[in-house]
Order: sequence, then C-alpha cells, then structure tokens
Amino acid sequence: MSRALYLGPPVVIGGILLLFLWHIAVGAKAIPLLTVAQSFWAFDQTEFDHVVIRNLRLPRAIFAISVGASLSVAGALMQGVTRNPLAEPGLLGLLAGASFAVVAAIGFFGLAAPGWIPAVAALGALGGAVMVWTIAARVPGGATPLSLILSGAAVTAFLGALITLMQLMDEQTFESLRVWLTGTLAGRQMDVFLWCLPWFAAGLLISFAVARQVTALAMGEETAIGLGVDIARLKIIVLICVVVLTAASVAVAGPLGFVGLVIPHVARLLVGSDYRLVVPYSAGIGAAYLLLVDIAARLVLAPVEVSTGIVTALLGAPFFIWLVRTRL
Amino acid sequence: MNDALILRSAGERIALAVPIKGLLAVSGLSAVILGIVAISLMSGSYPLDLPGVWATLTGVPPEETASTVVWQFRFPRLLAALLVGALLGLSGAILQNVTLNPLADPSLVGVSQGASLAVVAIIVAFPGADGPLRPLYAFGGALVVAAIIQWIAMKRAGGATMRFILTGIGIAAFISAITSAMLTYGQVDQALSALGWLAGSIHAAGWGEVRMLSLLTVLLVPAVIWAVGPMRALRFGPDMATGLGVAVRPARIILITLAVALAAIAVSAVGPLGFVGLIAPHLARRLVHTGLGLQLVLTGLVGAVMVSGADLIGRALFAPVQIPAGIVTALVGVPVFVMVLLRSQTRTQL
Repeated sequence: MSRALYLGPPVVIGGILLLFLWHIAVGAKAIPLLTVAQSFWAFDQTEFDHVVIRNLRLPRAIFAISVGASLSVAGALMQGVTRNPLAEPGLLGLLAGASFAVVAAIGFFGLAAPGWIPAVAALGALGGAVMVWTIAARVPGGATPLSLILSGAAVTAFLGALITLMQLMDEQTFESLRVWLTGTLAGRQMDVFLWCLPWFAAGLLISFAVARQVTALAMGEETAIGLGVDIARLKIIVLICVVVLTAASVAVAGPLGFVGLVIPHVARLLVGSDYRLVVPYSAGIGAAYLLLVDIAARLVLAPVEVSTGIVTALLGAPFFIWLVRTRL
Repeated sequence: MNDALILRSAGERIALAVPIKGLLAVSGLSAVILGIVAISLMSGSYPLDLPGVWATLTGVPPEETASTVVWQFRFPRLLAALLVGALLGLSGAILQNVTLNPLADPSLVGVSQGASLAVVAIIVAFPGADGPLRPLYAFGGALVVAAIIQWIAMKRAGGATMRFILTGIGIAAFISAITSAMLTYGQVDQALSALGWLAGSIHAAGWGEVRMLSLLTVLLVPAVIWAVGPMRALRFGPDMATGLGVAVRPARIILITLAVALAAIAVSAVGPLGFVGLIAPHLARRLVHTGLGLQLVLTGLVGAVMVSGADLIGRALFAPVQIPAGIVTALVGVPVFVMVLLRSQTRTQL
C-alpha cells in the first residue's frame, strides 16, 4: 500500500495527461501533438486547428474525464456500501431512470433549459434506484446480487420501452436525443456541462470525504457499528452522492453502461480494499479509461464514429460475465 | 384428477380421462382469439363492420378496397401475430421446463439477441442476401449464442440457474452493443430497415412471412409433440428422469435446440418480441393446471392472444401512430416478470 501511495498518483495523473493530449489529437482530422500543445501555450485565433481544439475537442476531453471519474466513483461507493460486486449505476437502473426523466422532461414538458437537466436526471436516477431496490428487497431471499440485477434489468427494459414509446409519438423532438441515448461524448454543448460542474464537484468531494466510513461498512454492518459509524446516515449520504454523480454524467454523456462496474474492481485490484484509496483511484483510472474508450470509439471504425456507450458495453459486458463466473 | 370427465366404452376396455377445466380453458382462449381476429380485421384507418369482413373473407367484398385491405394487410399481419405468439410461448414453456427455471425466456437468455445480431449483420453486410434464408441466419445466430451461454454457465457446478440468467444478461448486453455498432457502421437505408425490424414490429408482415412461419411451424409441431414425453420426465429433476429411462443430457440438448428453433423462427419473421415466452407459460399455468401436453397447447394459445392483442393495442391506442407490438409486450411483460420474481421460491436460488 505504501508503494501505491508514493508511485500511484504520479502514474495515474501522468497517464491521464498523456491520454488527454492523445484524445485531443485524434479525430476526423489528426492534429499533431505539437499543435495541440501550442494551442494551449500560444492560442492563435486565426489557426483553424486551434479553434477546433478550443471549441470541439477540449470540451469533449473534459467531458470524458468528468464522466469517467464520476461513474467510477459512483460504482465504487455502491459496491462498497451494498457489498455487492455487481453493483453499478447502469445495472441497477439509475442510468435508465435518469435517461427516462431527461427524455420525458425535454420531449413532453418542453424543458430544454440546460440548468434543469441535471436536476431532472437526479430525480430520475433516484426513482430508478428506489424502484429496483424496492422490487429486489421483496424478492424471497432479499436483495441478493441476482435479485438486484434482475430487477435492474426489468426496470431498464420497462423504462426503455417507455422511451421508445415517447420517441414514436413525436419523432422530430427526439431526433436529437437518439444519439445521446446510446451514450456519447460528442455533440453536447459546454453550457450543459457548466451547469453540471457543481454537481460533479459536490458529488466527488463528498465521496472522498465519506470514503473512510465506507471502508468500515464494506467490512460488514456490525464492524461498522462497532467502529462508530452511523450506518443509516452514511447510506443516505452515499445514495445522494451516487444519484448526483450519475445524474450529472447522464446529463453530459447519456447512459454509459458498465464504467462503474469495471473501474472499481481494477482499482481494488491495484490498491486493496481501503476505500480511502479505492475512491480516488477509481476517479483517476475511470477518467483515463473513458478517455481511452473515447479514443477507441473514434479510431476503430474510422471515419465512422461509434457511440462511446457501445464501446463501454463491449468492454464491460465480458468483464461482467467474468465477475459472475468468479465472484458468485 | 377429480376434475376430469371419464369416458368408458367397449366394456371398460377403453377409457379416456377428459380434463374438463383444461378443455374449457382451451375453448375460452379460442373464443378470445376469434374476438381478436374479428376486431383486428374490422378496425384500422379503413373501418369495416362485421358483415363486411365476413363478406370479404367469403369472397364477395363490398368494395374493391375492402378486399385489398383485408387480404393484403390485415389478414397476413394477424396470422403472423398469432403464429409468432404461439411459437414464442411454446419456446418459453420448453425452456422453463427443461432448465427448471421459472425466469427462462428466449429474450432473457440471449436467444433473441443472437438471432437479431445474425439478421442485422446480414442486412448490413450483404444487403442482397437477406430474404428467404432469414430464418436460417436467425436460427444459426440464436443457436450459437444459446450454446455459448450454456457453455459459460455450466463451467462450474452449483448455482447453475443463477449463473445461467446472469450470463444471459451479460451476453445480451454484449451482443446488443455489437448490433448497435453494426447499425452505426452500415449504410443509412439498410440500417433503417434493420432498425424497424429490431423494434419487434408486426406491421410489415405479409404473406411471405406467414407462409414461412406456417411451413416451419407445421414442420416443428411433431417435434414438440415428441418433446412432451422427455419433458414430463425432466420436470422431476435429472435423477428422477434418469430413473424413468430418459437420457438426460441428449434430451436436454435436443429440447433446448427445439426451443431455440421455435423462438428463432418467430424472431426472424417479426424481430425480437420480449417477454412473451416468459409470461405465456405462467399465465397458462395460472389459468388451469393440467397435464403437460394440454398445458403446452394452452401456452401456445395464450402466446397467440398476447401477441395479436399487443399488435391490436399497439395500432389502436395512439392511432394513427403505430406502436410496435414489441413495445406493448415489454410494457405489459415487465410488471408480470416482477410478479413472477416476487413469487419465486428460494429453492430456485434467487
């Protein structure tokens, strides 16, 4: 652990920086890394590449970092508190709830002001989580990983059908949402992100603050009580954190599945089960991971761009199956 | 069986136990189907009254348009819905009986997704090759995915039911992602045609689909009738089935292949329709408890009612907007799925 403490942060931060530069360089027109660097040190308004970087590629890279970090931290907290290796915003219905709420708000109530989107998404994520939890808790045998995932799948299928229904009723309004619903970092405007920024910041900061208590809870409820943790309060705080982080991510990038599942496991593999380390490492590795995924999404089938959400599912689903085979 | 009518003849040498409740349920469902048939043929943007429909069907249409509307659009669509429902219901019933898993369903265990991937791949990659061979591709894709799930889930002993379902969910997510990637990659017009098929919509079904569906159904019905015997034994668990003289492993493989084939045919005609195969067997069981053979007939009828009803609701509810039947079955199916989940017993390792 001590080695991880000294070596880890520089490696992770260095990795993020490298991927960040690469991410900006890649695209419909490859921009040399030197130009990318110049656009930061010496921004030239008349240089076409510099304008592209400022207006299109830089925002996208920042989205990737914030969303990757947030979804991973949300997944880490959920896995720690529920002691369920398969917990994740996507599998447990939070992503579906948030997407449904956003689609309904924009399509049905004409709520297009960017400031409202994260709030609406948070309501939806909370609704999805409560629905899944209520169903799973009433299944004979209680909220086991299996019953949680099954109710998550059911809620996701139901909300997905409702989303399709709304799309069919009003195809024009939803045309712009179609790509967003597959999970993509492209096309979002900076204003939505700025509205989400406080949500990202608050969610991540509170997560770092409660990480120590999550470690205690991950060792079992009795241990946590013995260590003086107020369990009910902690669970509510964690739920709020998870909902806030998920909502901001969905508002920026749509539903990106499996990010919150994969990264916390990788982080635990590297730094052990102390959530004071797992949470920040999840944030760092998650940011790097989503940068990498978004690079792949643009390179694999170039010149066609695949949705980021498709790539996260392609990478995450086999990991999920592997977890099912080894951890259950 | 005290609710059976026992017919004896020839000096008590021939006796036949007729399950009254079961037969009542069969006739009741048939009546419901007839009702749906009548309403489906009557309603739409060109409304007809009952005598008009009857006249059209018997060959004396009141107008030329009526003949076209009924014979070219409504009738094949209705037949396709009925056949698809019956196939999916049977597939689900066989899967649930063989795996002893009340949640087994062609779409939940990845069969529908496998068929979808194969068909979309063909539509996108070889635009000309789609057509009469579509059921074959769908069957191939479904079989491969089912085999992969079986292989992964059976690797370790114990908790097989749970692993089976979770593996199915994981594979389904993976394959849907590949399908979406194909849709992004493909030409716009091909992608659109694949997209319409993917929503599980029956409105495009014509006589070609009906011919294909009915031909394959007729071919597979003897197999289903044969399957009743081994299924009856397998319901008691593998040990008892061995004692009853059933070779468990081959029987399982054949039965699952049969279930996959039934679902794949349905999916290849109208696209993936979720939850029908899951729910139809439960509803049939809830309706009446009878022997396995009659139960399968009931399940087929319930499935037919579900899909034709879903199609009718889908085109009537928000007319002129047509809701694909797959959306309706999902909206109805999820609550029922949750109910089944809540009633499941702990012995199924939930």
